[in-house]
Amino acid sequence: MPPVSALDQTPSSSAHESSTVVRFSSLRGVRWRIDLGVLPSSSSSIVDLRRVAADSRRRYANLRRRLIVDPHLSKDDINSDLVKDNPLSQSPDSIWSRYFRNAEVEKMLDQDLSRLYPDQESYFQTTTCQTMLRRILLLWCLIHPECGYRQGMHEQLAPLLYVLHVDLQYLSHVRGQYEDHFNDEFQGVSLPETDLSANYRFEKIMNRNIGTDGDNSSQGKTAKVRSLDELDPETKDIFFMSDAYGAEGELGVILSEKFMEHDAYCMFDILMNDAHGVVAMAEFFSPSPSIGSSTGLPPIIEAASAIYQLLATVDSSLHSHLVELGVEPQYFAMRWLRVLFGREFPLEDLLIMWDKIFSYPNNKNFPHQANELEFRCRILCSPRGAFILAMAVSVLLHLRSSLLATDFATACLQRLLNIPEDLNVKKLIEKAKSLQALALDLVFSSCSQGGTSRYNREGRRGHSLSYGSSPITPNQLSDSYWEEKWRSMYASEELKKGNSTTTTSSDKKKEAVARKFSLSRTGSVPCPMEIPNKNGGPSDEKTIVDSNTENDQSKYRCGIPSTSEVETESYFHGEQDDQNIKRKQSDVAGETCFSAENLSTMTSPLRMVNDHEYDSDESSATSSSLVVDSYDEINHVEEPCSYIIDKEGITKCISESGHGSGREETDAAPLKQQKPLAGRFQLFQKSNRGGCQGNLENGTAESKTSLLMQIVALFLFYKFNHPRCNSFSVHERMKDEDKDINVTLRTIGKSMFDKIQIIELALKKDQIPENSGNSRSNADDLGQQQIAAFAALDELQKISNLLSEM
Amino acid sequence: MVLVLAIGDLHIPHRAADLPLKFKSMLVPGKIQHILCTGNLCIKEVHEYLKSLCPDLHITRGEYDEDARYPENKTLTIGQFKLGLCHGHQIVPWGDLDSLAMLQRQLDVDILVTGHTHQFKAYKHEGGVVINPGSATGAYSSITYDVNPSFVLMDIDGLRVVVYVYELIDGEVKVDKIDFKKTAATQSAH
Repeated sequence: MPPVSALDQTPSSSAHESSTVVRFSSLRGVRWRIDLGVLPSSSSSIVDLRRVAADSRRRYANLRRRLIVDPHLSKDDINSDLVKDNPLSQSPDSIWSRYFRNAEVEKMLDQDLSRLYPDQESYFQTTTCQTMLRRILLLWCLIHPECGYRQGMHEQLAPLLYVLHVDLQYLSHVRGQYEDHFNDEFQGVSLPETDLSANYRFEKIMNRNIGTDGDNSSQGKTAKVRSLDELDPETKDIFFMSDAYGAEGELGVILSEKFMEHDAYCMFDILMNDAHGVVAMAEFFSPSPSIGSSTGLPPIIEAASAIYQLLATVDSSLHSHLVELGVEPQYFAMRWLRVLFGREFPLEDLLIMWDKIFSYPNNKNFPHQANELEFRCRILCSPRGAFILAMAVSVLLHLRSSLLATDFATACLQRLLNIPEDLNVKKLIEKAKSLQALALDLVFSSCSQGGTSRYNREGRRGHSLSYGSSPITPNQLSDSYWEEKWRSMYASEELKKGNSTTTTSSDKKKEAVARKFSLSRTGSVPCPMEIPNKNGGPSDEKTIVDSNTENDQSKYRCGIPSTSEVETESYFHGEQDDQNIKRKQSDVAGETCFSAENLSTMTSPLRMVNDHEYDSDESSATSSSLVVDSYDEINHVEEPCSYIIDKEGITKCISESGHGSGREETDAAPLKQQKPLAGRFQLFQKSNRGGCQGNLENGTAESKTSLLMQIVALFLFYKFNHPRCNSFSVHERMKDEDKDINVTLRTIGKSMFDKIQIIELALKKDQIPENSGNSRSNADDLGQQQIAAFAALDELQKISNLLSEM
Repeated sequence: MVLVLAIGDLHIPHRAADLPLKFKSMLVPGKIQHILCTGNLCIKEVHEYLKSLCPDLHITRGEYDEDARYPENKTLTIGQFKLGLCHGHQIVPWGDLDSLAMLQRQLDVDILVTGHTHQFKAYKHEGGVVINPGSATGAYSSITYDVNPSFVLMDIDGLRVVVYVYELIDGEVKVDKIDFKKTAATQSAH
């Protein structure tokens, strides 16, 4: 890289830190070394810096000597045990074995290094750099065998080496400027004759350089600069740092090309494994949870979830959007954090970012206790860690618009892993600075004991976030709702079964029930009855409807697949299905359903069925939606009939559910059914009434329908309240029940009633191919209805008996 | 850092059943880059076994080899060194250094590897090296008494070759090392 870029750095860095007087602002390598802790703080003298540098270099040299083995270098005169030290030796600690092991690691490293910044002019692809990188990484891995080499470490190391290289280039540039002083010539300095030549040289140099370190004083300096004191402090520092005759001699030369490897190793070591600090990048690579972690998750997962938590506090809409899409934080956070954003930004931007990251101290910063606490995100419990978190969130915020625009998780991830190049890093950093305080709070509040419950929750939430607990589906929120629906379905099935007269249909019902059992399952163990009933209900309905359809194909022309379930659903639930599917969480949407169409009369039990159907069988919902269309046709054609059909179905459902309840007795079932059914049936009742009033053409039918419904409702109510009562009293109760407060049973009864009606109508239709039941003679209707009613009542009686036994 | 194995005169299955176990445990695939086999394997199975140790296998024909397609002599270059390979039964008197030197000049190699005598020998001769890896199985030989199983591993590194000799003496593996350095300006065929 030409020195011009080094120049470019200087003004920006010095401008960046104009607020504080930062020493070595033009020497990024030195600054980073100080920030990371390789060198003592910048307030110490040059001598101290040199000494510390020398020590660290000595350490590295020892390591290198110890661990890098070259079998050829073993001296011949050394009494080496050849049996042990031959190339084929199986002994693991022979030189050759170590050599071969190292060779294997190096092979792995080479794979990664060859792909490091593979641009044409890249410094990283030069042999010197590659050799150094290889050696540094090899040594580090040998010293830390528990961690080994992980892909990504080379990308962390590369910029460290790079800044040292840049520093050296800058140094050579400055040397070029002040040749006089940096020259190691011991010739006399100021002989008059040579003055002129020295001045001349200086002037030439001055003229050559366009912009210097930003100090114009050097421009002003004419040829008189002779002693070091006349140099500006920065250049003076540079001189002292590169002086081979200062403290510790060559080993102490801070800006030394010979010891680039040593320095880079020290920086890398501290970055990865800071004994005094908190953020240890090595932990990001470890797959196992860190010691003291409260969640037992690998640190990278903890950190990723911390990112999401910070995002949630800052920008909850983006956060929820990402969570809904299922974009797990660790998908992108792993790459971001493991390489400290090395892959996301071009090198120059990355250097600026790392400037800022390293400028934050890395010590634990507990405002309260000093004892060991459990951390939810131990790895980021420091100002530096908090800034890293904040940085990640600021990147997320920067990409906000494009993330919110897409509805696909993959598109989001693509965006997150391919950050556009035109972003302004400074802005990102500023934003991150503002978020850093927040991040600090987040990290520490979750760590403090006071926030135990909170962090437990957060931990769990983080845990759930990390482990991809699916975004809260409406199902989860409406568990109770569904349960209620199932119970109501169950009740309706009971009624249905009680009313069904067709043996075949009952058989079908049983089959359907069995099928349904296998299909859907409720977690409600105490209500096993509900399950079969719920299952059986709609199926029963369907079977009944099927039987109806068989009778009157013309009426029920539907392109539905043969599954009775589908047909039933389609008939009764089609529209409501769609609605229900979309509004699962909504309250009994009876009102809306009712307002919809005639079908809405069947809403509540239908909805129960719908919901149940939806729960258990989405396909059926779709098919039912398909059927809706056809059913709409039918609907318009034969309003009253369809209406009646609906009621029949419902009645059947109810009867069947009654049967079901009878079969599998649980005490809780009826009680449970009451409450959910109450609302449903109430609405159903309303709808029925409304429907009756609004749509029925046949007043008689309407009245009869309503009557039957009431019978059923009352009967149900009677049953649930007085299991021992004789079913024959239903008729009497009818009137009484009207005033009864128990809406539930009423509605149940109504559903039963409807089913009874359905049966009736089915019977009617069997006899009369024409649709309109309106034109039936009242007597016929009555007769049939009564028959059906009695049949239904019989079944209801059975139900009641069973219930009484419960 | 090239490891070259020089091995030969196994005489499997006629005079020996198999390599000694200790040798077999040392010869693992992955470490050795080339194998120079002087000959007299004798059967194909041994050929395949050696092939499994290293894919780069060079064999010359010994008088008892069942595969007649092996060449009489072979030369190859590894690093800075030229190596020559011959079984040695063609050179009479068997094992005579001067005659072998003649062959070395003839092939124009720095390192000549021959066998047939079932006895390990390593000579430095006129700027070159003549190596006899002996018999890896310790097979009977009519010209040598008390044959010990032995083979040779050469470590070629730049201009220097280190010869490791592995011998099985009294059931124990003994290793010896010999250093040879090639002079920078070596004239061939003095």
